[in-house]
Amino acid sequence: MPLSKYKLLWMLCVLAIALVAINVTVMVLTRNSLPRRVMAHARQARNASVVAIGNSLIAAGFDESAFDSGMGVEKERGSVNVGLGASSPVEQLLLFRYARSHGMHPQILVYGFYDQQLTEPLKFATRDFIGNRDMLYYVEPEYGLHFYQLSPHDRAEFELMRHFPMMVDRSAIWAKVELLRRKLAQTGMPAQQVNRFGRAGDFTLLEARDAAEFSRKCEAGTREDLITPINELIRQASEAGIKVVFVEMPMHPSHLSVFYDSPAWNQYRGHIQSLLVAQQVTYVDASAWEAGEQMFADRLHLTEVAAAQFSKRLGNLLRESQIAESQSNRDNKAGAWPIHGQ
Amino acid sequence: MKILDWIKHLLEYLGGAQDDPPPGFSVALSNIWFWGLWWGLLAGIIFIFSGQSSKFIYIDF
Repeated sequence: MPLSKYKLLWMLCVLAIALVAINVTVMVLTRNSLPRRVMAHARQARNASVVAIGNSLIAAGFDESAFDSGMGVEKERGSVNVGLGASSPVEQLLLFRYARSHGMHPQILVYGFYDQQLTEPLKFATRDFIGNRDMLYYVEPEYGLHFYQLSPHDRAEFELMRHFPMMVDRSAIWAKVELLRRKLAQTGMPAQQVNRFGRAGDFTLLEARDAAEFSRKCEAGTREDLITPINELIRQASEAGIKVVFVEMPMHPSHLSVFYDSPAWNQYRGHIQSLLVAQQVTYVDASAWEAGEQMFADRLHLTEVAAAQFSKRLGNLLRESQIAESQSNRDNKAGAWPIHGQ
Repeated sequence: MKILDWIKHLLEYLGGAQDDPPPGFSVALSNIWFWGLWWGLLAGIIFIFSGQSSKFIYIDF
């Protein structure tokens, strides 16, 4: 029996209702997605005097209460960690702006980074906007677009997708399916080491393949300026009177020996240090602060114990340097900033 | 074999390859609610597996 056009239109209406229902369901299920939780945390900590920003290395490595104890500040005026896993400097800039626009007036911005994060150009496609990066769809999307390149096709796709929750938060639902898939794949297999970010072994994929590739990246980075969102973060923080501290995050001993103990990294580090110090940014090299393998949950992230150690030491260092700075200001000497903590 | 043939017929009907339903399956092509929701269900299944091809390794979201 042939289907009439009229019936087909009605079926499409039912399909449209089903799609609206899926969008509403996704909106409800993702109202507490991780980026939104980080944003809520920023809103609740508007009295914070220190804001820590970065990717998962900060999210896992910056312990607010340990930092506050090292810095000697009370919890109410202490620090807030708005680090977001798997985020690029664009999302980190947006989070900083979000915190500021919701009443936060910190005195210090701590920015944690690793490898060539400060100089690697950002080229995205809409397929990259999954996971925590989906906040690019809903936190100042037009402003964010100034800091990364999209092809005309992806730009049009971005514009269309950002209006539909099931497109914006598509990965939040997929993540649950993926977790189930991983669980099923583990049946009868030797247990894999996992942590809050995923399978520990996967994080070696975020490192360079070998020392030669890492050196090539360092050499390329040594010819580059800081990427625009990083410069913009520094500029906006400095204009607001916020002291900016860039921290080379503690790295796994293997990462140090394979990649950081090289002339290429030393040259690259010197390059970014000079670019940062020229903008009155304090540079703290904490890459070797945690020496033991047992202090790392995987090749990149600190354990909770190590995070507390690192954060307390960082807080201590900043407190001492602030004291030194105020003394030098009193004595009218050259400032104690920048510091190069070892 | 009869059951397999019936399932094959049903799947072909649901997929649009056959115009007539298998015996005992009373949903006609003119049932707007069934077919509208069936497409919605297919859209939902595509949706929940949409990240499968990504190389995303973080699952912290």
